[in-house]
Amino acid sequence: MMKSIVLSGVVAALLVFSGCSDKEPVVDSQNSEQVAAATEAAAVETETVSAEDSMVNSSTNSAEMTMAEVESKLPTIYFAFDKYDITPEMQERIDAAAELGKQDIAKSLSVKLEGNCDEWGSDEYNFALGLKRAEAVKKALVADGIEASRISMVSYGESNPVCTEHTKECWAKNRRVDFKLIP
Amino acid sequence: MKILLALLMFFTFTYGADATIEVIKKAETLPSIAVEDASNDYDESFKLRFFKALIADLNVISIFNVDRHYRINEYDASSVVVENKDQEYVLRYLLQELDNGGLGVSMKLLQKDGTEVFSKNYRVSKQNIYMFVAHAIAYDINEFMGEAPVSWIKRKVIFAKIVAPMKTEIIISDYTLSYQHVIVKGGFNVFPKWANKAQSAFYYTSLDSVKPTLKYIDIRKGAVKSLMSSDGMMICSDVSDDGQKLLLTMAPKGQPDIYVYDLNTKKYSKETHYRGIDVNGQFMGRGKMVFISSRLGYPNVFSKTLGRDDVEQMVYYGRSNSACSAHGHYVVYKARETSNAFSENTFNLHLISTKTDVIRRLTATGVNEFPRFSHDGDAIIFIKNYKGQSAIGIIRLNYNKNYLFPITSGRVQSLDW
Repeated sequence: MMKSIVLSGVVAALLVFSGCSDKEPVVDSQNSEQVAAATEAAAVETETVSAEDSMVNSSTNSAEMTMAEVESKLPTIYFAFDKYDITPEMQERIDAAAELGKQDIAKSLSVKLEGNCDEWGSDEYNFALGLKRAEAVKKALVADGIEASRISMVSYGESNPVCTEHTKECWAKNRRVDFKLIP
Repeated sequence: MKILLALLMFFTFTYGADATIEVIKKAETLPSIAVEDASNDYDESFKLRFFKALIADLNVISIFNVDRHYRINEYDASSVVVENKDQEYVLRYLLQELDNGGLGVSMKLLQKDGTEVFSKNYRVSKQNIYMFVAHAIAYDINEFMGEAPVSWIKRKVIFAKIVAPMKTEIIISDYTLSYQHVIVKGGFNVFPKWANKAQSAFYYTSLDSVKPTLKYIDIRKGAVKSLMSSDGMMICSDVSDDGQKLLLTMAPKGQPDIYVYDLNTKKYSKETHYRGIDVNGQFMGRGKMVFISSRLGYPNVFSKTLGRDDVEQMVYYGRSNSACSAHGHYVVYKARETSNAFSENTFNLHLISTKTDVIRRLTATGVNEFPRFSHDGDAIIFIKNYKGQSAIGIIRLNYNKNYLFPITSGRVQSLDW
Protein backbone atom coordinates (compact mmCIF):
# COMPACT_ATOMS: atom_id res chain seq x y z
CA MET A 1 0.00 0.00 0.00
CA MET A 2 2.67 2.39 1.15
CA LYS A 3 4.86 1.41 -1.79
CA SER A 4 2.11 2.16 -4.24
CA ILE A 5 1.51 5.55 -2.66
CA VAL A 6 5.19 6.44 -2.82
CA LEU A 7 5.32 5.14 -6.37
CA SER A 8 2.27 7.12 -7.42
CA GLY A 9 3.82 10.19 -5.79
CA VAL A 10 6.99 9.67 -7.79
CA VAL A 11 5.02 9.05 -10.97
CA ALA A 12 3.01 12.19 -10.33
CA ALA A 13 6.19 14.16 -9.81
CA LEU A 14 7.71 12.70 -12.97
CA LEU A 15 4.60 13.57 -14.93
CA VAL A 16 4.80 17.10 -13.66
CA PHE A 17 8.46 17.47 -14.50
CA SER A 18 8.11 15.88 -17.89
CA GLY A 19 4.98 17.94 -18.38
CA CYS A 20 6.76 21.17 -17.79
CA SER A 21 9.85 20.40 -19.79
CA ASP A 22 8.05 19.74 -23.03
CA LYS A 23 5.42 22.37 -22.55
CA GLU A 24 7.09 25.61 -23.27
CA PRO A 25 4.72 28.24 -21.95
CA VAL A 26 3.18 30.07 -24.84
CA VAL A 27 3.74 33.60 -23.78
CA ASP A 28 4.13 36.10 -26.54
CA SER A 29 6.25 38.43 -24.58
CA GLN A 30 9.61 39.98 -25.31
CA ASN A 31 10.86 39.29 -21.83
CA SER A 32 12.85 36.04 -21.84
CA GLU A 33 13.06 35.88 -18.05
CA GLN A 34 9.36 35.17 -17.81
CA VAL A 35 9.65 32.00 -19.81
CA ALA A 36 12.44 30.64 -17.69
CA ALA A 37 10.54 31.41 -14.52
CA ALA A 38 7.39 29.80 -15.84
CA THR A 39 9.15 26.53 -16.54
CA GLU A 40 10.68 26.47 -13.12
CA ALA A 41 7.49 27.28 -11.30
CA ALA A 42 5.45 24.55 -12.90
CA ALA A 43 6.62 22.19 -10.16
CA VAL A 44 5.12 24.30 -7.40
CA GLU A 45 4.68 22.17 -4.34
CA THR A 46 3.61 19.25 -6.46
CA GLU A 47 6.20 16.74 -5.51
CA THR A 48 5.96 16.96 -1.77
CA VAL A 49 2.27 17.56 -1.40
CA SER A 50 1.24 14.66 -3.55
CA ALA A 51 3.34 12.25 -1.53
CA GLU A 52 1.69 13.23 1.70
CA ASP A 53 -1.22 10.88 1.34
CA SER A 54 0.56 8.57 3.70
CA MET A 55 -0.80 8.56 7.19
CA VAL A 56 0.89 7.18 10.23
CA ASN A 57 -1.18 5.47 12.83
CA SER A 58 0.10 5.96 16.29
CA SER A 59 -1.93 3.98 18.74
CA THR A 60 -1.83 3.54 22.47
CA ASN A 61 -1.82 0.17 24.10
CA SER A 62 -3.07 0.11 27.62
CA ALA A 63 -2.23 -3.03 29.56
CA GLU A 64 -2.77 -1.41 32.90
CA MET A 65 -6.21 -2.78 33.70
CA THR A 66 -5.05 -5.37 36.21
CA MET A 67 -3.58 -2.70 38.46
CA ALA A 68 -6.69 -0.58 38.39
CA GLU A 69 -7.64 -1.48 41.95
CA VAL A 70 -4.40 -0.29 43.51
CA GLU A 71 -4.36 2.71 41.26
CA SER A 72 -7.84 3.77 42.34
CA LYS A 73 -6.53 4.18 45.90
CA LEU A 74 -3.75 6.52 44.85
CA PRO A 75 -4.33 10.23 45.34
CA THR A 76 -4.15 13.27 43.06
CA ILE A 77 -1.82 16.01 44.22
CA TYR A 78 -2.94 19.58 43.50
CA PHE A 79 -0.81 22.70 43.16
CA ALA A 80 -1.21 26.44 43.42
CA PHE A 81 -1.19 28.70 40.37
CA ASP A 82 2.25 28.79 38.69
CA LYS A 83 3.79 26.83 41.62
CA TYR A 84 5.36 23.43 42.15
CA ASP A 85 5.81 23.31 45.91
CA ILE A 86 3.82 20.86 48.03
CA THR A 87 1.37 22.14 50.65
CA PRO A 88 1.03 20.33 54.05
CA GLU A 89 -2.38 19.00 53.01
CA MET A 90 -0.93 17.46 49.85
CA GLN A 91 2.05 16.11 51.82
CA GLU A 92 -0.43 14.00 53.85
CA ARG A 93 -1.79 12.52 50.63
CA ILE A 94 1.73 11.68 49.44
CA ASP A 95 2.56 10.03 52.80
CA ALA A 96 -0.54 7.84 52.47
CA ALA A 97 0.44 6.92 48.90
CA ALA A 98 3.96 5.99 50.07
CA GLU A 99 2.47 3.66 52.72
CA LEU A 100 0.38 1.99 50.01
CA GLY A 101 3.47 1.67 47.83
CA LYS A 102 5.28 -0.27 50.54
CA GLN A 103 2.55 -2.90 50.89
CA ASP A 104 3.09 -6.34 49.36
CA ILE A 105 0.42 -5.91 46.71
CA ALA A 106 2.19 -2.88 45.26
CA LYS A 107 5.85 -3.71 45.91
CA SER A 108 6.53 -5.11 42.44
CA LEU A 109 4.92 -2.14 40.74
CA SER A 110 6.45 1.07 39.52
CA VAL A 111 4.67 4.37 39.33
CA LYS A 112 4.60 7.01 36.63
CA LEU A 113 3.95 10.49 37.95
CA GLU A 114 2.10 12.59 35.39
CA GLY A 115 2.48 16.34 35.82
CA ASN A 116 -0.30 18.56 34.47
CA CYS A 117 -1.02 22.27 34.15
CA ASP A 118 -4.01 24.53 33.64
CA GLU A 119 -4.82 25.95 30.21
CA TRP A 120 -2.64 29.06 30.47
CA GLY A 121 0.03 28.24 27.96
CA SER A 122 0.92 25.48 25.54
CA ASP A 123 4.61 26.24 25.48
CA GLU A 124 7.54 24.21 26.70
CA TYR A 125 7.64 26.19 29.93
CA ASN A 126 4.22 24.83 30.87
CA PHE A 127 5.43 21.30 30.21
CA ALA A 128 8.46 21.98 32.38
CA LEU A 129 6.21 23.32 35.14
CA GLY A 130 4.20 20.08 35.01
CA LEU A 131 7.44 18.13 35.21
CA LYS A 132 8.70 20.12 38.23
CA ARG A 133 5.39 19.26 39.92
CA ALA A 134 5.98 15.57 39.22
CA GLU A 135 9.56 15.92 40.45
CA ALA A 136 8.37 17.55 43.71
CA VAL A 137 6.07 14.58 44.31
CA LYS A 138 8.88 12.15 43.47
CA LYS A 139 11.19 13.79 46.00
CA ALA A 140 8.49 13.59 48.65
CA LEU A 141 7.88 9.88 47.90
CA VAL A 142 11.62 9.14 48.06
CA ALA A 143 11.80 10.99 51.38
CA ASP A 144 8.96 8.69 52.54
CA GLY A 145 11.06 5.63 51.70
CA ILE A 146 10.00 4.69 48.15
CA GLU A 147 12.94 3.67 45.92
CA ALA A 148 13.65 6.32 43.29
CA SER A 149 14.12 3.57 40.69
CA ARG A 150 10.43 2.68 40.96
CA ILE A 151 9.35 6.18 39.95
CA SER A 152 9.28 7.65 36.46
CA MET A 153 7.95 11.04 35.46
CA VAL A 154 6.28 12.68 32.52
CA SER A 155 4.66 16.02 31.84
CA TYR A 156 1.56 16.53 29.73
CA GLY A 157 1.50 20.31 30.05
CA GLU A 158 -2.04 21.51 29.46
CA SER A 159 -2.87 18.64 27.09
CA ASN A 160 -4.53 16.36 29.63
CA PRO A 161 -7.21 18.39 31.42
CA VAL A 162 -9.72 16.60 33.66
CA CYS A 163 -11.95 19.65 33.46
CA THR A 164 -12.42 21.79 30.37
CA GLU A 165 -14.61 24.65 31.54
CA HIS A 166 -13.03 28.07 31.74
CA THR A 167 -13.49 28.58 35.49
CA LYS A 168 -11.12 28.96 38.40
CA GLU A 169 -12.39 25.69 39.93
CA CYS A 170 -11.61 23.94 36.70
CA TRP A 171 -8.12 25.38 36.39
CA ALA A 172 -7.37 24.34 40.00
CA LYS A 173 -8.40 20.75 39.18
CA ASN A 174 -6.03 20.65 36.23
CA ARG A 175 -2.93 21.82 38.15
CA ARG A 176 -2.14 18.35 39.41
CA VAL A 177 0.05 15.25 39.50
CA ASP A 178 -1.62 11.89 38.82
CA PHE A 179 -0.23 8.49 39.81
CA LYS A 180 -0.23 5.79 37.11
CA LEU A 181 1.01 2.29 37.96
CA ILE A 182 3.22 0.37 35.56
CA PRO A 183 4.20 -3.31 35.96
CA MET B 1 21.74 73.24 8.51
CA LYS B 2 22.88 70.73 5.92
CA ILE B 3 24.50 68.65 8.63
CA LEU B 4 21.30 68.73 10.67
CA LEU B 5 19.30 67.63 7.67
CA ALA B 6 21.78 64.84 6.93
CA LEU B 7 21.58 63.70 10.56
CA LEU B 8 17.78 63.76 10.47
CA MET B 9 17.78 61.72 7.29
CA PHE B 10 20.24 59.26 8.81
CA PHE B 11 18.00 58.67 11.83
CA THR B 12 14.92 58.39 9.65
CA PHE B 13 16.55 55.67 7.58
CA THR B 14 17.99 53.76 10.53
CA TYR B 15 14.63 53.75 12.26
CA GLY B 16 12.85 52.89 9.06
CA ALA B 17 14.84 49.68 8.82
CA ASP B 18 14.09 48.65 12.40
CA ALA B 19 11.18 46.23 12.76
CA THR B 20 10.69 47.16 16.41
CA ILE B 21 9.44 50.54 15.26
CA GLU B 22 5.78 50.27 14.44
CA VAL B 23 4.80 51.32 10.96
CA ILE B 24 1.76 53.50 11.48
CA LYS B 25 1.20 54.69 7.98
CA LYS B 26 3.33 53.36 5.20
CA ALA B 27 2.09 55.07 2.09
CA GLU B 28 -0.85 57.25 1.28
CA THR B 29 -2.24 54.88 -1.33
CA LEU B 30 -1.35 51.44 -2.52
CA PRO B 31 -1.78 50.55 -6.20
CA SER B 32 -5.15 48.96 -6.94
CA ILE B 33 -5.57 45.49 -8.39
CA ALA B 34 -8.57 43.49 -9.58
CA VAL B 35 -8.80 39.83 -10.56
CA GLU B 36 -10.48 38.39 -13.67
CA ASP B 37 -11.35 34.71 -14.07
CA ALA B 38 -11.13 33.32 -17.62
CA SER B 39 -11.78 29.66 -16.74
CA ASN B 40 -14.16 27.38 -18.62
CA ASP B 41 -13.31 24.17 -16.77
CA TYR B 42 -14.61 23.32 -13.26
CA ASP B 43 -17.89 24.22 -11.55
CA GLU B 44 -18.80 27.62 -10.18
CA SER B 45 -18.13 26.69 -6.56
CA PHE B 46 -14.54 25.62 -7.25
CA LYS B 47 -13.92 28.65 -9.45
CA LEU B 48 -15.11 30.88 -6.65
CA ARG B 49 -12.99 29.06 -4.06
CA PHE B 50 -9.88 29.62 -6.16
CA PHE B 51 -10.80 33.26 -6.67
CA LYS B 52 -11.27 33.81 -2.93
CA ALA B 53 -7.97 32.11 -2.11
CA LEU B 54 -6.19 34.35 -4.59
CA ILE B 55 -7.86 37.52 -3.25
CA ALA B 56 -6.87 36.54 0.31
CA ASP B 57 -3.25 35.96 -0.75
CA LEU B 58 -3.09 39.28 -2.59
CA ASN B 59 -4.32 40.96 0.59
CA VAL B 60 -1.72 39.22 2.71
CA ILE B 61 1.19 40.42 0.57
CA SER B 62 -0.02 43.91 1.58
CA ILE B 63 1.21 45.81 -1.48
CA PHE B 64 -2.13 46.36 -3.23
CA ASN B 65 -5.60 47.66 -2.62
CA VAL B 66 -7.41 44.53 -3.71
CA ASP B 67 -10.80 44.73 -5.41
CA ARG B 68 -12.99 41.89 -4.11
CA HIS B 69 -15.45 41.69 -7.01
CA TYR B 70 -15.53 38.49 -9.02
CA ARG B 71 -15.25 39.39 -12.72
CA ILE B 72 -15.18 37.18 -15.78
CA ASN B 73 -13.26 37.86 -18.98
CA GLU B 74 -11.72 35.98 -21.90
CA TYR B 75 -8.10 35.00 -21.21
CA ASP B 76 -6.87 36.61 -24.41
CA ALA B 77 -9.18 39.63 -24.34
CA SER B 78 -7.26 42.72 -25.34
CA SER B 79 -8.81 44.94 -22.70
CA VAL B 80 -9.90 44.52 -19.10
CA VAL B 81 -13.62 44.39 -18.22
CA VAL B 82 -15.21 47.81 -18.03
CA GLU B 83 -15.61 47.70 -14.22
CA ASN B 84 -11.84 47.24 -13.91
CA LYS B 85 -10.78 50.05 -16.23
CA ASP B 86 -9.72 52.26 -13.33
CA GLN B 87 -7.61 49.56 -11.68
CA GLU B 88 -3.87 50.05 -11.96
CA TYR B 89 -3.34 46.30 -12.32
CA VAL B 90 -5.54 43.41 -13.38
CA LEU B 91 -4.60 39.82 -12.68
CA ARG B 92 -6.25 37.43 -15.13
CA TYR B 93 -6.12 33.67 -14.78
CA LEU B 94 -7.33 30.52 -16.48
CA LEU B 95 -7.95 27.24 -14.62
CA GLN B 96 -7.59 24.09 -16.69
CA GLU B 97 -8.52 20.56 -15.76
CA LEU B 98 -5.67 18.26 -16.81
CA ASP B 99 -5.99 14.66 -17.99
CA ASN B 100 -4.48 13.09 -14.89
CA GLY B 101 -6.78 14.93 -12.47
CA GLY B 102 -4.25 17.70 -12.12
CA LEU B 103 -4.85 21.41 -12.21
CA GLY B 104 -3.18 23.80 -14.59
CA VAL B 105 -3.27 27.55 -14.04
CA SER B 106 -2.15 30.25 -16.43
CA MET B 107 -2.00 33.80 -15.23
CA LYS B 108 -1.00 37.18 -16.52
CA LEU B 109 -0.68 40.56 -14.93
CA LEU B 110 -1.99 43.45 -16.99
CA GLN B 111 -1.65 47.15 -16.61
CA LYS B 112 -4.53 49.58 -16.95
CA ASP B 113 -4.14 49.87 -20.73
CA GLY B 114 -4.17 46.10 -21.19
CA THR B 115 -0.40 45.73 -21.55
CA GLU B 116 0.82 42.41 -20.22
CA VAL B 117 3.71 42.92 -17.81
CA PHE B 118 4.13 39.49 -16.29
CA SER B 119 2.89 35.96 -16.91
CA LYS B 120 3.47 32.46 -15.67
CA ASN B 121 2.03 28.92 -15.83
CA TYR B 122 1.55 26.53 -12.95
CA ARG B 123 0.42 22.99 -12.55
CA VAL B 124 -0.18 20.74 -9.57
CA SER B 125 -0.97 17.03 -9.53
CA LYS B 126 -4.30 17.36 -7.71
CA GLN B 127 -7.14 19.81 -7.74
CA ASN B 128 -7.47 19.88 -3.93
CA ILE B 129 -4.10 21.58 -3.46
CA TYR B 130 -5.18 24.57 -5.55
CA MET B 131 -4.41 26.97 -2.69
CA PHE B 132 -0.68 26.35 -3.11
CA VAL B 133 -0.99 27.69 -6.66
CA ALA B 134 -2.76 30.80 -5.35
CA HIS B 135 0.07 31.23 -2.81
CA ALA B 136 2.68 30.80 -5.56
CA ILE B 137 0.96 33.39 -7.75
CA ALA B 138 0.93 35.90 -4.88
CA TYR B 139 4.60 35.11 -4.18
CA ASP B 140 5.56 35.69 -7.82
CA ILE B 141 3.59 38.91 -8.14
CA ASN B 142 5.13 40.21 -4.94
CA GLU B 143 8.55 39.40 -6.35
CA PHE B 144 7.72 40.93 -9.74
CA MET B 145 6.70 44.14 -7.97
CA GLY B 146 10.19 44.25 -6.42
CA GLU B 147 9.12 43.70 -2.81
CA ALA B 148 11.05 41.72 -0.20
CA PRO B 149 10.39 38.01 -0.80
CA VAL B 150 7.54 36.33 1.07
CA SER B 151 8.87 32.79 0.81
CA TRP B 152 6.89 31.74 3.91
CA ILE B 153 3.69 32.07 1.88
CA LYS B 154 4.60 28.90 -0.05
CA ARG B 155 5.77 26.92 2.97
CA LYS B 156 3.78 24.31 4.79
CA VAL B 157 2.72 24.67 8.40
CA ILE B 158 2.84 21.65 10.68
CA PHE B 159 0.86 21.72 13.90
CA ALA B 160 -0.37 19.50 16.74
CA LYS B 161 -4.06 19.77 17.56
CA ILE B 162 -5.54 18.57 20.83
CA VAL B 163 -8.77 16.74 19.97
CA ALA B 164 -9.43 15.26 23.44
CA PRO B 165 -7.41 14.95 26.66
CA MET B 166 -4.21 13.04 25.75
CA LYS B 167 -5.39 12.72 22.14
CA THR B 168 -3.81 14.77 19.39
CA GLU B 169 -3.43 14.89 15.65
CA ILE B 170 -0.44 16.20 13.75
CA ILE B 171 -1.56 18.11 10.70
CA ILE B 172 0.25 19.53 7.69
CA SER B 173 -1.42 22.57 6.17
CA ASP B 174 -0.81 25.66 4.11
CA TYR B 175 -0.51 28.92 6.05
CA THR B 176 -4.23 29.69 5.65
CA LEU B 177 -5.30 26.21 6.92
CA SER B 178 -7.48 25.75 3.84
CA TYR B 179 -5.43 22.66 2.95
CA GLN B 180 -5.15 20.22 5.85
CA HIS B 181 -3.75 16.73 5.88
CA VAL B 182 -3.62 14.66 9.06
CA ILE B 183 -0.20 13.01 8.97
CA VAL B 184 -0.21 11.43 12.45
CA LYS B 185 -3.58 10.26 13.70
CA GLY B 186 -4.35 8.74 17.09
CA GLY B 187 -2.12 8.73 20.14
CA PHE B 188 -0.65 11.61 22.09
CA ASN B 189 1.93 13.45 19.99
CA VAL B 190 3.07 17.03 20.45
CA PHE B 191 5.69 19.60 19.38
CA PRO B 192 6.14 18.79 15.67
CA LYS B 193 9.21 20.47 14.15
CA TRP B 194 10.35 20.42 10.52
CA ALA B 195 13.61 18.50 10.19
CA ASN B 196 14.95 20.43 7.19
CA LYS B 197 14.34 23.43 5.00
CA ALA B 198 12.79 21.26 2.29
CA GLN B 199 10.09 20.21 4.78
CA SER B 200 10.42 16.57 3.74
CA ALA B 201 10.60 15.21 7.28
CA PHE B 202 9.76 16.26 10.81
CA TYR B 203 10.44 15.49 14.46
CA TYR B 204 7.81 15.26 17.18
CA THR B 205 7.38 14.12 20.76
CA SER B 206 5.36 10.99 21.41
CA LEU B 207 3.91 10.76 24.91
CA ASP B 208 2.36 7.31 24.47
CA SER B 209 5.20 5.25 25.90
CA VAL B 210 6.51 5.27 29.50
CA LYS B 211 9.14 7.86 28.60
CA PRO B 212 8.58 10.81 26.27
CA THR B 213 10.16 9.80 22.96
CA LEU B 214 11.45 11.88 20.07
CA LYS B 215 10.29 10.46 16.76
CA TYR B 216 11.11 11.26 13.16
CA ILE B 217 8.87 10.87 10.13
CA ASP B 218 10.02 11.00 6.54
CA ILE B 219 6.89 12.29 4.79
CA ARG B 220 7.73 10.86 1.40
CA LYS B 221 8.23 7.36 2.74
CA GLY B 222 5.68 7.63 5.53
CA ALA B 223 8.12 5.82 7.82
CA VAL B 224 8.41 6.50 11.57
CA LYS B 225 11.71 6.23 13.45
CA SER B 226 12.14 6.47 17.24
CA LEU B 227 15.26 8.51 17.89
CA MET B 228 15.66 8.87 21.64
CA SER B 229 13.73 9.17 24.86
CA SER B 230 14.16 10.87 28.20
CA ASP B 231 12.37 10.67 31.51
CA GLY B 232 10.13 13.68 32.13
CA MET B 233 10.53 15.73 28.95
CA MET B 234 11.83 15.27 25.43
CA ILE B 235 11.17 18.08 22.97
CA CYS B 236 12.92 19.13 19.78
CA SER B 237 12.82 22.90 20.22
CA ASP B 238 14.81 23.90 17.15
CA VAL B 239 16.71 22.55 14.17
CA SER B 240 19.81 24.33 12.83
CA ASP B 241 19.67 25.84 9.33
CA ASP B 242 21.67 22.95 7.87
CA GLY B 243 19.44 20.41 9.66
CA GLN B 244 22.45 18.82 11.38
CA LYS B 245 22.02 20.05 14.95
CA LEU B 246 19.02 19.94 17.25
CA LEU B 247 18.26 21.94 20.35
CA LEU B 248 16.48 19.53 22.68
CA THR B 249 14.79 20.05 26.01
CA MET B 250 15.31 16.89 28.02
CA ALA B 251 15.03 15.96 31.67
CA PRO B 252 16.90 12.67 32.20
CA LYS B 253 16.84 13.22 35.97
CA GLY B 254 13.61 15.14 36.20
CA GLN B 255 15.45 18.40 35.63
CA PRO B 256 14.48 20.24 32.41
CA ASP B 257 17.62 21.44 30.60
CA ILE B 258 18.66 22.32 27.08
CA TYR B 259 21.01 20.07 25.10
CA VAL B 260 22.58 20.35 21.66
CA TYR B 261 22.43 17.10 19.73
CA ASP B 262 24.71 16.61 16.74
CA LEU B 263 23.14 14.25 14.20
CA ASN B 264 26.53 13.48 12.61
CA THR B 265 28.50 12.59 15.72
CA LYS B 266 25.37 11.45 17.63
CA LYS B 267 26.69 13.28 20.69
CA TYR B 268 24.91 15.54 23.18
CA SER B 269 26.24 18.54 24.97
CA LYS B 270 24.39 19.98 27.93
CA GLU B 271 23.97 23.72 27.50
CA THR B 272 22.20 24.75 30.71
CA HIS B 273 22.88 23.78 34.30
CA TYR B 274 20.45 25.81 36.38
CA ARG B 275 18.43 23.79 38.91
CA GLY B 276 15.09 25.37 37.93
CA ILE B 277 13.54 25.39 34.47
CA ASP B 278 15.52 25.91 31.25
CA VAL B 279 13.53 25.26 28.06
CA ASN B 280 12.68 26.48 24.53
CA GLY B 281 16.20 26.78 23.05
CA GLN B 282 16.25 28.58 19.68
CA PHE B 283 19.28 28.96 17.44
CA MET B 284 20.12 32.61 17.02
CA GLY B 285 23.09 32.73 14.64
CA ARG B 286 26.71 33.51 15.52
CA GLY B 287 26.86 30.33 17.63
CA LYS B 288 24.27 31.60 20.10
CA MET B 289 20.85 30.58 21.32
CA VAL B 290 17.97 32.24 23.13
CA PHE B 291 15.98 30.28 25.69
CA ILE B 292 13.48 30.55 28.54
CA SER B 293 14.72 30.16 32.09
CA SER B 294 13.22 30.58 35.54
CA ARG B 295 16.61 31.54 37.03
CA LEU B 296 15.27 34.90 38.27
CA GLY B 297 12.33 33.24 39.99
CA TYR B 298 9.99 33.75 37.03
CA PRO B 299 10.20 32.74 33.37
CA ASN B 300 12.18 35.13 31.20
CA VAL B 301 14.21 35.27 27.99
CA PHE B 302 17.99 34.72 28.10
CA SER B 303 20.74 34.12 25.57
CA LYS B 304 24.06 32.32 25.67
CA THR B 305 26.87 31.21 23.38
CA LEU B 306 26.70 27.48 22.68
CA GLY B 307 29.40 25.64 24.60
CA ARG B 308 30.05 28.58 26.93
CA ASP B 309 28.60 29.82 30.20
CA ASP B 310 27.91 33.46 29.33
CA VAL B 311 24.17 33.63 30.09
CA GLU B 312 22.72 37.08 29.42
CA GLN B 313 19.24 38.42 30.22
CA MET B 314 17.49 39.55 27.03
CA VAL B 315 14.22 41.06 28.27
CA TYR B 316 13.78 43.56 31.11
CA TYR B 317 10.04 43.98 30.86
CA GLY B 318 7.27 41.76 32.26
CA ARG B 319 7.21 39.26 35.12
CA SER B 320 6.40 36.19 33.08
CA ASN B 321 7.86 35.74 29.60
CA SER B 322 7.53 32.05 28.85
CA ALA B 323 8.15 31.49 25.12
CA CYS B 324 10.44 32.99 22.47
CA SER B 325 11.84 32.78 18.95
CA ALA B 326 14.82 34.54 17.38
CA HIS B 327 15.85 35.77 13.96
CA GLY B 328 19.07 37.72 13.46
CA HIS B 329 19.08 40.37 16.16
CA TYR B 330 15.32 40.21 16.69
CA VAL B 331 13.63 38.25 19.47
CA VAL B 332 9.87 37.77 19.76
CA TYR B 333 8.53 36.62 23.11
CA LYS B 334 5.29 35.86 24.87
CA ALA B 335 4.56 38.03 27.92
CA ARG B 336 1.91 37.58 30.55
CA GLU B 337 0.03 40.90 30.79
CA THR B 338 -2.23 39.99 33.69
CA SER B 339 -1.47 37.74 36.62
CA ASN B 340 -4.85 36.65 37.79
CA ALA B 341 -5.25 33.13 39.08
CA PHE B 342 -9.02 33.45 39.10
CA SER B 343 -10.07 34.94 35.79
CA GLU B 344 -9.14 35.22 32.13
CA ASN B 345 -5.56 36.26 31.46
CA THR B 346 -4.00 38.11 28.55
CA PHE B 347 -0.73 37.08 26.94
CA ASN B 348 0.76 39.24 24.22
CA LEU B 349 3.66 38.87 21.86
CA HIS B 350 6.41 41.50 21.94
CA LEU B 351 9.33 42.16 19.63
CA ILE B 352 12.73 43.43 20.72
CA SER B 353 15.97 44.07 18.91
CA THR B 354 19.33 43.42 20.55
CA LYS B 355 20.48 46.68 18.97
CA THR B 356 17.88 49.04 20.45
CA ASP B 357 15.92 49.41 23.69
CA VAL B 358 12.58 49.57 21.93
CA ILE B 359 9.87 47.01 22.66
CA ARG B 360 7.04 46.64 20.16
CA ARG B 361 3.82 44.94 21.21
CA LEU B 362 2.52 42.78 18.37
CA THR B 363 -0.86 41.56 19.65
CA ALA B 364 -3.65 43.09 21.71
CA THR B 365 -6.15 40.57 23.08
CA GLY B 366 -6.48 36.96 24.18
CA VAL B 367 -3.80 34.35 24.68
CA ASN B 368 -1.10 34.75 22.03
CA GLU B 369 1.66 32.19 22.20
CA PHE B 370 4.15 29.93 20.49
CA PRO B 371 5.71 32.59 18.23
CA ARG B 372 8.01 31.38 15.45
CA PHE B 373 9.87 33.56 12.95
CA SER B 374 9.73 32.68 9.27
CA HIS B 375 13.12 31.66 7.82
CA ASP B 376 13.49 35.04 6.16
CA GLY B 377 12.37 36.98 9.25
CA ASP B 378 9.59 38.69 7.28
CA ALA B 379 6.75 37.23 9.35
CA ILE B 380 5.91 35.57 12.65
CA ILE B 381 3.49 32.70 13.02
CA PHE B 382 1.78 32.13 16.37
CA ILE B 383 -1.14 30.48 18.16
CA LYS B 384 -4.06 32.58 19.35
CA ASN B 385 -6.67 31.29 21.77
CA TYR B 386 -9.46 33.76 22.34
CA LYS B 387 -13.01 33.24 23.59
CA GLY B 388 -12.86 29.49 23.14
CA GLN B 389 -11.57 29.72 19.57
CA SER B 390 -8.13 28.48 18.58
CA ALA B 391 -6.43 30.04 15.57
CA ILE B 392 -3.12 30.30 13.78
CA GLY B 393 -1.97 33.87 13.32
CA ILE B 394 0.52 35.52 10.99
CA ILE B 395 2.14 38.86 11.76
CA ARG B 396 3.77 40.78 8.93
CA LEU B 397 6.29 42.90 10.76
CA ASN B 398 7.08 45.44 8.08
CA TYR B 399 3.43 46.06 7.27
CA ASN B 400 2.09 46.04 10.83
CA LYS B 401 -0.64 43.58 9.89
CA ASN B 402 -1.97 40.48 11.64
CA TYR B 403 -3.99 37.73 9.99
CA LEU B 404 -5.90 35.01 11.85
CA PHE B 405 -6.89 31.61 10.50
CA PRO B 406 -9.17 29.80 12.99
CA ILE B 407 -9.44 26.02 13.24
CA THR B 408 -12.94 24.59 13.29
CA SER B 409 -12.46 22.21 16.21
CA GLY B 410 -9.92 21.34 18.86
CA ARG B 411 -7.05 23.47 20.06
CA VAL B 412 -3.66 24.14 18.48
CA GLN B 413 -0.96 22.91 20.86
CA SER B 414 2.21 23.79 18.96
CA LEU B 415 3.37 24.52 15.42
CA ASP B 416 6.24 25.08 13.06
CA TRP B 417 6.71 26.33 9.51
